[in-house]
Amino acid sequence: MPRDNVARGASDALVRLFHVSKSYLAGSFALRDINLELGRGEFALLTGPSGAGKTTLLRLIFGAERPSEGQLLVLGRNISRVGGHSVAPLRRRIGVVFQDFKLLPRHTVEQNVGIALDVMGVPAREKRARVFAMLKRVGLEARRAHHPLSLSGGEQQRLAIARALVNRPQLLLADEPTGNLDPDLSIEIMELIAAFASSGATVLVATHDHGLLRRYGRRVLRLEAGELVDDGVSGAQP
Amino acid sequence: MSLPFAQTALRTALSSMRASPVTSLVAVATIGLCLLLIGAFVLLVANMERLLDHFGEEIRVSVYLSEETDIEAQQQLAARARIAPGVLEVELLTREAALERFRQHQPEHATLFEGFGESPLPASLEILLAPEQRNEQGVAILVESLSGLPGIGELGYGHEWVSGYAHVVSLLYGAAVALCCVLLPATFLIVAGTIRLSLYARRDEIEIVRLIGGSRGFVASPLLLEGITCGACGGLLGLVLLYLCYRLLLPAFEGGLSLLIGTAEPVFLGIGAACGLIAAGALLGLLGATIALLQDELRS
Ligand SMILES: Nc1ncnc2c1ncn2[C@@H]1O[C@H](COP(=O)(O)OP(=O)(O)O)[C@@H](O)[C@H]1O
Ligand SMILES: [Mg+2]
Repeated sequence: MPRDNVARGASDALVRLFHVSKSYLAGSFALRDINLELGRGEFALLTGPSGAGKTTLLRLIFGAERPSEGQLLVLGRNISRVGGHSVAPLRRRIGVVFQDFKLLPRHTVEQNVGIALDVMGVPAREKRARVFAMLKRVGLEARRAHHPLSLSGGEQQRLAIARALVNRPQLLLADEPTGNLDPDLSIEIMELIAAFASSGATVLVATHDHGLLRRYGRRVLRLEAGELVDDGVSGAQP
Repeated sequence: MSLPFAQTALRTALSSMRASPVTSLVAVATIGLCLLLIGAFVLLVANMERLLDHFGEEIRVSVYLSEETDIEAQQQLAARARIAPGVLEVELLTREAALERFRQHQPEHATLFEGFGESPLPASLEILLAPEQRNEQGVAILVESLSGLPGIGELGYGHEWVSGYAHVVSLLYGAAVALCCVLLPATFLIVAGTIRLSLYARRDEIEIVRLIGGSRGFVASPLLLEGITCGACGGLLGLVLLYLCYRLLLPAFEGGLSLLIGTAEPVFLGIGAACGLIAAGALLGLLGATIALLQDELRS
Protein backbone atom coordinates (compact mmCIF):
# COMPACT_ATOMS: atom_id res chain seq x y z
CA MET A 1 0.00 0.00 0.00
CA PRO A 2 1.33 3.42 -0.90
CA ARG A 3 0.77 4.78 2.57
CA ASP A 4 4.10 6.59 2.52
CA ASN A 5 2.90 8.63 -0.44
CA VAL A 6 -0.06 9.80 1.56
CA ALA A 7 2.21 10.85 4.38
CA ARG A 8 4.60 12.68 2.09
CA GLY A 9 1.84 14.58 0.31
CA ALA A 10 1.40 18.25 0.96
CA SER A 11 -1.21 18.57 3.68
CA ASP A 12 -3.28 21.04 1.72
CA ALA A 13 -3.49 19.08 -1.53
CA LEU A 14 -6.93 19.34 -3.08
CA VAL A 15 -6.51 16.43 -5.44
CA ARG A 16 -4.44 13.30 -4.90
CA LEU A 17 -4.21 10.26 -7.11
CA PHE A 18 -2.45 7.09 -5.90
CA HIS A 19 -1.64 4.49 -8.51
CA VAL A 20 -4.82 5.30 -10.39
CA SER A 21 -5.56 3.26 -13.47
CA LYS A 22 -8.59 3.39 -15.68
CA SER A 23 -9.54 0.77 -18.19
CA TYR A 24 -12.70 1.05 -20.27
CA LEU A 25 -12.10 -2.21 -22.09
CA ALA A 26 -10.45 -5.22 -20.52
CA GLY A 27 -6.77 -5.34 -21.42
CA SER A 28 -6.36 -1.73 -22.53
CA PHE A 29 -5.70 1.21 -20.24
CA ALA A 30 -6.88 4.76 -20.80
CA LEU A 31 -4.81 5.71 -17.75
CA ARG A 32 -2.12 3.61 -16.10
CA ASP A 33 -0.71 3.99 -12.60
CA ILE A 34 -1.04 7.75 -12.22
CA ASN A 35 0.36 9.39 -9.08
CA LEU A 36 -0.38 13.04 -8.80
CA GLU A 37 -1.08 15.86 -6.38
CA LEU A 38 -2.58 19.26 -6.92
CA GLY A 39 -2.07 21.74 -4.11
CA ARG A 40 -4.40 24.49 -3.00
CA GLY A 41 -4.18 27.46 -5.35
CA GLU A 42 -2.16 25.59 -7.90
CA PHE A 43 -2.56 26.31 -11.63
CA ALA A 44 -1.54 23.29 -13.69
CA LEU A 45 -1.83 22.41 -17.34
CA LEU A 46 -2.46 18.88 -18.54
CA THR A 47 -1.15 18.07 -21.98
CA GLY A 48 -0.51 15.20 -24.34
CA PRO A 49 -1.66 14.01 -27.73
CA SER A 50 -5.22 13.20 -28.53
CA GLY A 51 -6.27 9.93 -26.88
CA ALA A 52 -3.60 10.25 -24.19
CA GLY A 53 -6.20 10.20 -21.41
CA LYS A 54 -6.61 13.89 -20.51
CA THR A 55 -10.39 13.85 -20.58
CA THR A 56 -10.45 10.57 -18.68
CA LEU A 57 -8.26 12.05 -15.93
CA LEU A 58 -10.55 15.07 -15.56
CA ARG A 59 -13.64 12.85 -15.54
CA LEU A 60 -12.13 10.76 -12.77
CA ILE A 61 -11.50 13.85 -10.68
CA PHE A 62 -15.11 15.04 -10.77
CA GLY A 63 -16.51 11.59 -10.28
CA ALA A 64 -17.92 10.97 -13.75
CA GLU A 65 -15.79 7.85 -13.97
CA ARG A 66 -14.50 5.55 -11.29
CA PRO A 67 -10.92 4.34 -11.26
CA SER A 68 -10.38 0.70 -12.14
CA GLU A 69 -7.50 0.64 -9.67
CA GLY A 70 -5.95 2.96 -7.12
CA GLN A 71 -7.27 5.65 -4.82
CA LEU A 72 -8.50 9.10 -5.61
CA LEU A 73 -8.89 11.87 -3.04
CA VAL A 74 -10.71 15.00 -4.13
CA LEU A 75 -11.40 17.92 -1.78
CA GLY A 76 -10.68 15.61 1.14
CA ARG A 77 -12.98 12.81 0.03
CA ASN A 78 -12.00 9.43 -1.25
CA ILE A 79 -14.16 9.16 -4.33
CA SER A 80 -12.75 5.88 -5.59
CA ARG A 81 -15.76 4.04 -4.34
CA VAL A 82 -18.57 6.52 -3.76
CA GLY A 83 -21.79 5.70 -5.53
CA GLY A 84 -23.45 7.66 -8.29
CA HIS A 85 -25.53 10.00 -6.15
CA SER A 86 -23.10 10.84 -3.41
CA VAL A 87 -20.78 12.61 -5.84
CA ALA A 88 -23.38 15.37 -6.34
CA PRO A 89 -22.33 17.44 -3.30
CA LEU A 90 -18.71 17.12 -4.38
CA ARG A 91 -19.49 18.27 -7.91
CA ARG A 92 -21.13 21.39 -6.55
CA ARG A 93 -17.72 22.41 -5.22
CA ILE A 94 -15.98 21.74 -8.52
CA GLY A 95 -16.36 23.87 -11.63
CA VAL A 96 -16.04 21.97 -14.87
CA VAL A 97 -15.62 23.42 -18.37
CA PHE A 98 -16.49 20.57 -20.71
CA GLN A 99 -14.80 20.09 -24.03
CA ASP A 100 -18.21 20.15 -25.72
CA PHE A 101 -19.48 22.85 -23.30
CA LYS A 102 -22.59 20.87 -22.34
CA LEU A 103 -24.82 23.93 -22.41
CA LEU A 104 -28.59 23.57 -22.04
CA PRO A 105 -29.91 24.43 -25.51
CA ARG A 106 -33.48 25.18 -24.44
CA HIS A 107 -32.44 27.55 -21.68
CA THR A 108 -31.27 31.12 -22.02
CA VAL A 109 -27.71 32.25 -21.36
CA GLU A 110 -28.82 33.56 -17.98
CA GLN A 111 -30.54 30.27 -17.06
CA ASN A 112 -27.52 28.27 -18.18
CA VAL A 113 -25.39 30.07 -15.64
CA GLY A 114 -28.18 30.13 -13.06
CA ILE A 115 -28.59 26.36 -13.04
CA ALA A 116 -25.23 25.99 -11.30
CA LEU A 117 -26.68 28.08 -8.46
CA ASP A 118 -30.08 26.33 -8.64
CA VAL A 119 -28.47 23.00 -7.81
CA MET A 120 -27.02 24.67 -4.70
CA GLY A 121 -30.39 26.12 -3.69
CA VAL A 122 -29.27 29.77 -3.92
CA PRO A 123 -32.28 32.10 -3.48
CA ALA A 124 -33.62 33.76 -6.63
CA ARG A 125 -32.58 37.31 -5.77
CA GLU A 126 -29.00 36.40 -4.89
CA LYS A 127 -28.87 34.15 -7.91
CA ARG A 128 -29.82 36.93 -10.30
CA ALA A 129 -27.18 39.23 -8.89
CA ARG A 130 -24.43 36.63 -9.04
CA VAL A 131 -25.37 35.49 -12.54
CA PHE A 132 -25.39 39.05 -13.79
CA ALA A 133 -22.01 39.81 -12.24
CA MET A 134 -20.59 36.64 -13.77
CA LEU A 135 -21.99 37.37 -17.23
CA LYS A 136 -20.51 40.82 -17.02
CA ARG A 137 -17.14 39.36 -16.16
CA VAL A 138 -17.16 37.19 -19.30
CA GLY A 139 -18.70 39.94 -21.43
CA LEU A 140 -22.03 38.22 -22.09
CA GLU A 141 -24.37 40.48 -20.13
CA ALA A 142 -25.92 41.82 -23.32
CA ARG A 143 -26.61 38.29 -24.53
CA ARG A 144 -28.25 37.01 -21.38
CA ALA A 145 -31.68 36.42 -22.97
CA HIS A 146 -30.24 34.54 -25.95
CA HIS A 147 -30.09 30.80 -26.35
CA PRO A 148 -26.71 29.07 -26.52
CA LEU A 149 -27.12 27.92 -30.10
CA SER A 150 -27.41 31.51 -31.28
CA LEU A 151 -24.00 32.30 -29.76
CA SER A 152 -20.66 32.13 -31.52
CA GLY A 153 -18.12 29.46 -30.54
CA GLY A 154 -16.15 31.92 -28.43
CA GLU A 155 -19.29 33.12 -26.70
CA GLN A 156 -20.37 29.56 -25.95
CA GLN A 157 -16.96 28.91 -24.49
CA ARG A 158 -17.22 31.97 -22.26
CA LEU A 159 -20.70 30.90 -21.22
CA ALA A 160 -19.38 27.46 -20.26
CA ILE A 161 -16.69 29.14 -18.16
CA ALA A 162 -19.21 31.48 -16.56
CA ARG A 163 -21.30 28.50 -15.46
CA ALA A 164 -18.25 26.71 -14.08
CA LEU A 165 -17.12 29.75 -12.08
CA VAL A 166 -20.39 31.23 -10.84
CA ASN A 167 -20.55 29.14 -7.68
CA ARG A 168 -16.92 30.02 -6.83
CA PRO A 169 -15.64 26.45 -6.87
CA GLN A 170 -12.56 25.41 -4.97
CA LEU A 171 -11.40 23.45 -7.96
CA LEU A 172 -11.75 24.31 -11.64
CA LEU A 173 -11.30 21.66 -14.32
CA ALA A 174 -11.27 22.78 -17.95
CA ASP A 175 -11.08 20.37 -20.88
CA GLU A 176 -9.48 22.03 -23.90
CA PRO A 177 -11.23 25.32 -23.23
CA THR A 178 -9.49 26.94 -26.19
CA GLY A 179 -9.93 23.93 -28.44
CA ASN A 180 -11.37 25.49 -31.55
CA LEU A 181 -10.72 29.14 -30.91
CA ASP A 182 -8.37 31.46 -32.77
CA PRO A 183 -5.26 32.58 -30.84
CA ASP A 184 -6.64 35.96 -29.69
CA LEU A 185 -9.76 34.36 -28.33
CA SER A 186 -7.68 31.62 -26.70
CA ILE A 187 -5.66 34.19 -24.81
CA GLU A 188 -8.84 35.95 -23.74
CA ILE A 189 -10.28 32.70 -22.37
CA MET A 190 -7.06 31.75 -20.62
CA GLU A 191 -6.86 35.21 -19.03
CA LEU A 192 -10.27 34.60 -17.53
CA ILE A 193 -9.14 31.28 -16.12
CA ALA A 194 -5.81 32.65 -14.90
CA ALA A 195 -7.61 35.49 -13.14
CA PHE A 196 -9.76 32.93 -11.35
CA ALA A 197 -6.68 30.88 -10.46
CA SER A 198 -5.01 33.91 -8.94
CA SER A 199 -8.00 34.30 -6.59
CA GLY A 200 -6.78 31.18 -4.77
CA ALA A 201 -8.64 28.34 -6.48
CA THR A 202 -6.96 25.23 -7.81
CA VAL A 203 -7.09 24.97 -11.59
CA LEU A 204 -6.33 22.12 -13.95
CA VAL A 205 -6.58 22.85 -17.68
CA ALA A 206 -6.21 20.18 -20.35
CA THR A 207 -4.81 21.59 -23.56
CA HIS A 208 -2.50 20.71 -26.39
CA ASP A 209 -2.00 24.30 -27.41
CA HIS A 210 1.77 24.89 -27.28
CA GLY A 211 1.35 28.63 -27.28
CA LEU A 212 -0.67 28.40 -24.09
CA LEU A 213 1.79 25.97 -22.54
CA ARG A 214 4.61 28.45 -23.04
CA ARG A 215 2.58 31.36 -21.81
CA TYR A 216 0.77 29.86 -18.80
CA GLY A 217 2.75 26.73 -18.07
CA ARG A 218 3.84 27.06 -14.49
CA ARG A 219 3.30 23.37 -13.96
CA VAL A 220 2.73 21.02 -16.90
CA LEU A 221 1.58 17.43 -16.56
CA ARG A 222 2.24 15.45 -19.70
CA LEU A 223 0.27 12.30 -20.52
CA GLU A 224 1.21 9.86 -23.22
CA ALA A 225 -0.82 6.75 -23.94
CA GLY A 226 -2.31 6.87 -20.47
CA GLU A 227 0.93 7.35 -18.57
CA LEU A 228 2.12 10.45 -16.78
CA VAL A 229 5.45 10.97 -18.50
CA ASP A 230 6.34 14.42 -17.29
CA ASP A 231 5.41 16.66 -14.39
CA GLY A 232 7.35 19.88 -14.34
CA VAL A 233 7.76 23.41 -15.50
CA SER A 234 7.21 23.85 -19.19
CA GLY A 235 9.04 25.96 -21.71
CA ALA A 236 11.33 23.19 -22.82
CA GLN A 237 8.51 21.40 -24.61
CA PRO A 238 8.66 21.83 -28.37
CA MET B 1 -37.45 21.24 0.16
CA SER B 2 -36.21 24.82 0.12
CA LEU B 3 -38.14 27.54 -1.66
CA PRO B 4 -35.69 28.18 -4.54
CA PHE B 5 -35.47 24.44 -5.03
CA ALA B 6 -39.26 24.13 -5.23
CA GLN B 7 -39.52 27.12 -7.56
CA THR B 8 -36.97 25.64 -9.92
CA ALA B 9 -38.69 22.26 -9.81
CA LEU B 10 -42.10 23.77 -10.55
CA ARG B 11 -40.76 25.91 -13.37
CA THR B 12 -39.03 22.92 -14.93
CA ALA B 13 -42.12 20.72 -14.54
CA LEU B 14 -44.39 23.28 -16.18
CA SER B 15 -42.03 23.96 -19.04
CA SER B 16 -41.66 20.24 -19.60
CA MET B 17 -45.45 19.83 -19.75
CA ARG B 18 -45.68 22.77 -22.12
CA ALA B 19 -43.00 21.24 -24.30
CA SER B 20 -45.02 18.04 -24.79
CA PRO B 21 -48.69 19.04 -24.46
CA VAL B 22 -50.03 15.99 -26.28
CA THR B 23 -48.48 13.39 -23.99
CA SER B 24 -49.45 15.45 -20.95
CA LEU B 25 -53.03 15.66 -22.21
CA VAL B 26 -53.14 11.94 -22.88
CA ALA B 27 -52.03 11.29 -19.32
CA VAL B 28 -54.58 13.75 -17.92
CA ALA B 29 -57.37 12.25 -20.02
CA THR B 30 -56.45 8.69 -19.07
CA ILE B 31 -56.42 9.48 -15.39
CA GLY B 32 -59.64 11.43 -15.84
CA LEU B 33 -61.48 8.52 -17.49
CA CYS B 34 -60.11 6.01 -15.02
CA LEU B 35 -61.29 8.11 -12.11
CA LEU B 36 -64.63 8.76 -13.80
CA LEU B 37 -65.33 5.03 -13.88
CA ILE B 38 -64.12 4.48 -10.35
CA GLY B 39 -66.00 7.57 -9.18
CA ALA B 40 -69.22 6.32 -10.80
CA PHE B 41 -68.95 3.06 -8.88
CA VAL B 42 -68.18 4.87 -5.66
CA LEU B 43 -71.20 7.07 -6.23
CA LEU B 44 -73.51 4.12 -6.90
CA VAL B 45 -72.27 2.06 -3.98
CA ALA B 46 -72.44 5.06 -1.65
CA ASN B 47 -76.04 5.72 -2.64
CA MET B 48 -76.98 2.08 -2.23
CA GLU B 49 -75.31 1.86 1.15
CA ARG B 50 -77.10 4.95 2.25
CA LEU B 51 -80.35 3.27 1.34
CA LEU B 52 -79.32 0.15 3.17
CA ASP B 53 -78.75 2.12 6.35
CA HIS B 54 -82.10 3.75 5.85
CA PHE B 55 -83.79 0.34 5.52
CA GLY B 56 -82.03 -0.85 8.61
CA GLU B 57 -83.76 1.75 10.70
CA GLU B 58 -87.10 0.77 9.30
CA ILE B 59 -86.75 -2.90 9.98
CA ARG B 60 -88.81 -4.03 12.91
CA VAL B 61 -89.13 -7.63 13.81
CA SER B 62 -92.75 -8.24 14.69
CA VAL B 63 -93.37 -10.87 17.35
CA TYR B 64 -97.07 -11.72 17.36
CA LEU B 65 -98.61 -12.56 20.68
CA SER B 66 -101.28 -15.19 21.05
CA GLU B 67 -104.91 -14.30 21.66
CA GLU B 68 -105.00 -15.49 25.26
CA THR B 69 -102.39 -13.06 26.61
CA ASP B 70 -103.79 -10.27 28.64
CA ILE B 71 -102.26 -6.84 28.85
CA GLU B 72 -100.25 -7.68 31.92
CA ALA B 73 -98.73 -10.73 30.28
CA GLN B 74 -98.01 -8.68 27.18
CA GLN B 75 -96.14 -6.09 29.22
CA GLN B 76 -94.13 -8.82 30.89
CA LEU B 77 -93.21 -10.29 27.52
CA ALA B 78 -92.18 -6.83 26.29
CA ALA B 79 -89.96 -6.44 29.36
CA ARG B 80 -88.53 -9.88 28.70
CA ALA B 81 -87.84 -8.96 25.03
CA ARG B 82 -86.05 -5.74 26.04
CA ILE B 83 -83.33 -7.72 27.77
CA ALA B 84 -82.96 -10.22 24.90
CA PRO B 85 -79.52 -10.07 23.19
CA GLY B 86 -79.14 -7.52 20.38
CA VAL B 87 -82.39 -5.74 21.07
CA LEU B 88 -82.39 -1.96 20.90
CA GLU B 89 -86.03 -1.05 21.33
CA VAL B 90 -89.27 -2.87 22.01
CA GLU B 91 -92.65 -1.38 21.39
CA LEU B 92 -95.75 -3.15 22.57
CA LEU B 93 -98.54 -2.88 20.04
CA THR B 94 -101.81 -3.88 21.65
CA ARG B 95 -104.65 -5.18 19.53
CA GLU B 96 -106.39 -1.80 19.62
CA ALA B 97 -103.20 0.02 18.71
CA ALA B 98 -102.63 -2.42 15.84
CA LEU B 99 -106.05 -1.65 14.46
CA GLU B 100 -105.52 2.08 14.88
CA ARG B 101 -102.20 1.85 13.06
CA PHE B 102 -103.74 -0.21 10.29
CA ARG B 103 -106.41 2.42 9.76
CA GLN B 104 -103.81 5.17 9.69
CA HIS B 105 -101.51 3.42 7.28
CA GLN B 106 -104.14 2.06 4.97
CA PRO B 107 -106.98 4.60 5.03
CA GLU B 108 -108.40 3.12 1.81
CA HIS B 109 -109.09 -0.10 3.68
CA ALA B 110 -110.07 1.65 6.87
CA THR B 111 -113.60 0.33 6.74
CA LEU B 112 -112.48 -3.26 6.34
CA PHE B 113 -112.68 -4.16 10.01
CA GLU B 114 -115.66 -2.01 10.82
CA GLY B 115 -118.32 -3.77 12.76
CA PHE B 116 -115.97 -5.95 14.73
CA GLY B 117 -116.59 -5.23 18.35
CA GLU B 118 -113.03 -5.98 19.20
CA SER B 119 -109.87 -5.62 17.12
CA PRO B 120 -109.35 -8.69 14.98
CA LEU B 121 -105.61 -8.03 14.80
CA PRO B 122 -103.17 -9.74 17.17
CA ALA B 123 -101.09 -7.80 19.64
CA SER B 124 -97.38 -7.74 18.81
CA LEU B 125 -93.99 -6.67 20.03
CA GLU B 126 -92.28 -4.43 17.48
CA ILE B 127 -88.58 -5.04 18.03
CA LEU B 128 -85.74 -2.89 16.67
CA LEU B 129 -82.46 -4.71 16.64
CA ALA B 130 -79.08 -3.08 17.22
CA PRO B 131 -77.48 -2.12 13.84
CA GLU B 132 -74.91 -4.93 13.93
CA GLN B 133 -77.68 -7.46 14.63
CA ARG B 134 -79.81 -6.52 11.65
CA ASN B 135 -79.12 -9.71 9.77
CA GLU B 136 -80.31 -13.29 9.66
CA GLN B 137 -78.07 -14.29 12.51
CA GLY B 138 -79.37 -11.49 14.72
CA VAL B 139 -82.90 -12.52 14.02
CA ALA B 140 -82.07 -16.15 14.71
CA ILE B 141 -80.64 -15.21 18.09
CA LEU B 142 -83.79 -13.27 18.89
CA VAL B 143 -86.02 -16.15 17.88
CA GLU B 144 -83.98 -18.49 20.00
CA SER B 145 -84.29 -16.37 23.10
CA LEU B 146 -88.02 -15.69 22.76
CA SER B 147 -89.44 -18.90 21.36
CA GLY B 148 -91.00 -21.20 23.85
CA LEU B 149 -92.11 -18.42 26.15
CA PRO B 150 -95.83 -18.73 26.78
CA GLY B 151 -97.83 -16.29 24.67
CA ILE B 152 -95.27 -15.94 21.88
CA GLY B 153 -96.78 -16.59 18.45
CA GLU B 154 -95.06 -16.33 15.12
CA LEU B 155 -92.32 -13.93 14.02
CA GLY B 156 -92.49 -11.83 10.90
CA TYR B 157 -89.94 -9.56 9.32
CA GLY B 158 -89.06 -8.08 5.95
CA HIS B 159 -85.57 -9.36 6.28
CA GLU B 160 -85.10 -11.46 3.18
CA TRP B 161 -85.50 -8.69 0.70
CA VAL B 162 -83.03 -6.52 2.59
CA SER B 163 -80.40 -9.18 2.81
CA GLY B 164 -80.75 -9.72 -0.95
CA TYR B 165 -80.22 -6.04 -1.45
CA ALA B 166 -77.20 -6.03 0.83
CA HIS B 167 -75.87 -8.85 -1.29
CA VAL B 168 -76.22 -6.74 -4.45
CA VAL B 169 -74.42 -3.89 -2.75
CA SER B 170 -71.53 -6.12 -1.79
CA LEU B 171 -71.40 -7.55 -5.32
CA LEU B 172 -71.17 -4.04 -6.74
CA TYR B 173 -68.55 -3.24 -4.18
CA GLY B 174 -66.57 -6.27 -5.34
CA ALA B 175 -67.02 -5.18 -8.96
CA ALA B 176 -65.66 -1.74 -8.07
CA VAL B 177 -62.62 -3.31 -6.43
CA ALA B 178 -62.08 -5.55 -9.47
CA LEU B 179 -62.40 -2.53 -11.73
CA CYS B 180 -59.76 -0.71 -9.69
CA CYS B 181 -57.47 -3.72 -9.96
CA VAL B 182 -57.68 -3.53 -13.75
CA LEU B 183 -57.78 0.22 -14.24
CA LEU B 184 -55.21 1.40 -11.73
CA PRO B 185 -52.22 -0.57 -13.06
CA ALA B 186 -53.11 0.43 -16.62
CA THR B 187 -53.28 4.05 -15.56
CA PHE B 188 -49.98 3.80 -13.67
CA LEU B 189 -48.33 2.51 -16.78
CA ILE B 190 -49.69 5.30 -18.94
CA VAL B 191 -48.55 7.94 -16.47
CA ALA B 192 -45.19 6.22 -16.17
CA GLY B 193 -44.97 6.27 -19.97
CA THR B 194 -45.67 9.99 -20.04
CA ILE B 195 -43.00 10.70 -17.47
CA ARG B 196 -40.60 8.41 -19.30
CA LEU B 197 -41.15 10.46 -22.46
CA SER B 198 -40.37 13.64 -20.53
CA LEU B 199 -37.34 11.92 -19.16
CA TYR B 200 -36.16 11.00 -22.64
CA ALA B 201 -36.93 14.44 -23.99
CA ARG B 202 -34.84 15.94 -21.24
CA ARG B 203 -32.22 13.20 -21.05
CA ASP B 204 -29.30 15.36 -22.19
CA GLU B 205 -30.40 18.16 -19.96
CA ILE B 206 -30.72 15.85 -16.95
CA GLU B 207 -27.30 14.39 -17.65
CA ILE B 208 -25.80 17.89 -17.69
CA VAL B 209 -27.57 18.84 -14.49
CA ARG B 210 -26.14 15.72 -12.85
CA LEU B 211 -22.67 16.58 -14.07
CA ILE B 212 -22.78 20.00 -12.48
CA GLY B 213 -23.89 18.56 -9.16
CA GLY B 214 -27.68 18.36 -9.31
CA SER B 215 -28.76 15.98 -6.56
CA ARG B 216 -31.10 13.08 -7.13
CA GLY B 217 -33.94 15.09 -5.64
CA PHE B 218 -33.14 18.09 -7.82
CA VAL B 219 -33.38 15.95 -10.93
CA ALA B 220 -36.37 13.90 -9.79
CA SER B 221 -38.59 16.57 -8.26
CA PRO B 222 -39.69 18.29 -11.49
CA LEU B 223 -40.66 14.89 -12.90
CA LEU B 224 -42.53 13.93 -9.75
CA LEU B 225 -44.26 17.31 -9.77
CA GLU B 226 -45.17 16.77 -13.39
CA GLY B 227 -46.74 13.43 -12.45
CA ILE B 228 -48.62 14.97 -9.53
CA THR B 229 -49.85 17.88 -11.66
CA CYS B 230 -51.04 15.60 -14.48
CA GLY B 231 -52.66 13.35 -11.87
CA ALA B 232 -54.48 16.13 -10.04
CA CYS B 233 -55.69 17.61 -13.34
CA GLY B 234 -56.88 14.14 -14.32
CA GLY B 235 -58.68 13.78 -10.99
CA LEU B 236 -60.38 17.13 -11.50
CA LEU B 237 -61.35 16.13 -15.02
CA GLY B 238 -62.80 12.85 -13.75
CA LEU B 239 -64.77 14.71 -11.09
CA VAL B 240 -66.17 17.21 -13.60
CA LEU B 241 -67.12 14.41 -16.00
CA LEU B 242 -68.75 12.50 -13.17
CA TYR B 243 -70.77 15.53 -12.16
CA LEU B 244 -71.84 16.14 -15.77
CA CYS B 245 -72.91 12.52 -16.09
CA TYR B 246 -74.76 12.77 -12.81
CA ARG B 247 -76.59 15.88 -13.93
CA LEU B 248 -77.20 15.09 -17.58
CA LEU B 249 -77.45 11.31 -17.77
CA LEU B 250 -79.19 10.55 -14.50
CA PRO B 251 -82.66 11.73 -15.58
CA ALA B 252 -82.45 9.40 -18.59
CA PHE B 253 -81.90 6.41 -16.33
CA GLU B 254 -84.46 7.29 -13.71
CA GLY B 255 -86.34 4.01 -14.22
CA GLY B 256 -83.31 1.73 -14.00
CA LEU B 257 -81.91 3.68 -11.13
CA SER B 258 -85.06 3.42 -9.07
CA LEU B 259 -84.67 -0.36 -9.28
CA LEU B 260 -81.31 0.02 -7.59
CA ILE B 261 -81.88 2.73 -5.06
CA GLY B 262 -85.66 2.79 -4.87
CA THR B 263 -87.39 6.09 -4.35
CA ALA B 264 -84.49 7.55 -2.38
CA GLU B 265 -83.16 10.84 -3.71
CA PRO B 266 -79.69 10.20 -5.23
CA VAL B 267 -76.88 12.32 -3.79
CA PHE B 268 -73.58 13.37 -5.40
CA LEU B 269 -70.18 12.80 -3.79
CA GLY B 270 -69.59 14.92 -0.71
CA ILE B 271 -66.77 17.43 -0.56
CA GLY B 272 -64.49 14.91 1.15
CA ALA B 273 -65.01 12.24 -1.49
CA ALA B 274 -64.62 14.83 -4.28
CA CYS B 275 -61.28 15.97 -2.83
CA GLY B 276 -60.43 12.31 -2.39
CA LEU B 277 -60.93 11.72 -6.10
CA ILE B 278 -58.56 14.57 -6.99
CA ALA B 279 -56.07 13.34 -4.40
CA ALA B 280 -56.33 9.85 -5.86
CA GLY B 281 -55.44 11.33 -9.26
CA ALA B 282 -52.44 13.13 -7.79
CA LEU B 283 -51.35 9.93 -6.07
CA LEU B 284 -51.70 7.98 -9.31
CA GLY B 285 -49.54 10.58 -11.04
CA LEU B 286 -46.94 10.52 -8.28
CA LEU B 287 -46.73 6.73 -8.32
CA GLY B 288 -46.53 6.63 -12.11
CA ALA B 289 -43.69 9.15 -12.07
CA THR B 290 -41.92 7.22 -9.32
CA ILE B 291 -42.14 4.02 -11.34
CA ALA B 292 -40.69 5.78 -14.39
CA LEU B 293 -37.82 7.21 -12.35
CA LEU B 294 -37.04 3.90 -10.68
CA GLN B 295 -37.05 2.12 -14.04
CA ASP B 296 -34.72 4.75 -15.38
CA GLU B 297 -32.39 4.44 -12.41
CA LEU B 298 -32.27 0.68 -12.76
CA ARG B 299 -31.36 0.98 -16.40
CA SER B 300 -28.54 3.51 -15.94
N1 LIG C 1 -16.26 5.93 -22.72
C1 LIG C 1 -15.19 5.31 -23.27
N2 LIG C 1 -15.27 4.01 -23.62
C2 LIG C 1 -14.23 3.38 -24.14
N3 LIG C 1 -13.04 3.94 -24.36
C3 LIG C 1 -12.88 5.25 -24.04
C4 LIG C 1 -13.97 6.00 -23.48
N4 LIG C 1 -13.53 7.25 -23.25
C5 LIG C 1 -12.25 7.30 -23.65
N5 LIG C 1 -11.86 6.10 -24.13
C6 LIG C 1 -10.52 5.77 -24.61
O1 LIG C 1 -9.60 6.13 -23.62
C7 LIG C 1 -8.45 6.72 -24.19
C8 LIG C 1 -8.24 8.10 -23.63
O2 LIG C 1 -9.27 8.97 -24.08
P1 LIG C 1 -9.41 10.46 -23.61
O3 LIG C 1 -9.34 10.50 -22.14
O4 LIG C 1 -10.63 11.01 -24.23
O5 LIG C 1 -8.13 11.15 -24.23
P2 LIG C 1 -7.85 12.68 -24.54
O6 LIG C 1 -8.85 13.50 -23.84
O7 LIG C 1 -6.46 12.90 -24.07
O8 LIG C 1 -7.93 12.84 -26.02
C9 LIG C 1 -8.68 6.72 -25.68
O9 LIG C 1 -8.02 5.59 -26.21
C10 LIG C 1 -10.16 6.58 -25.82
O10 LIG C 1 -10.46 5.88 -27.01
MG1 LIG D 1 -10.26 14.86 -24.55
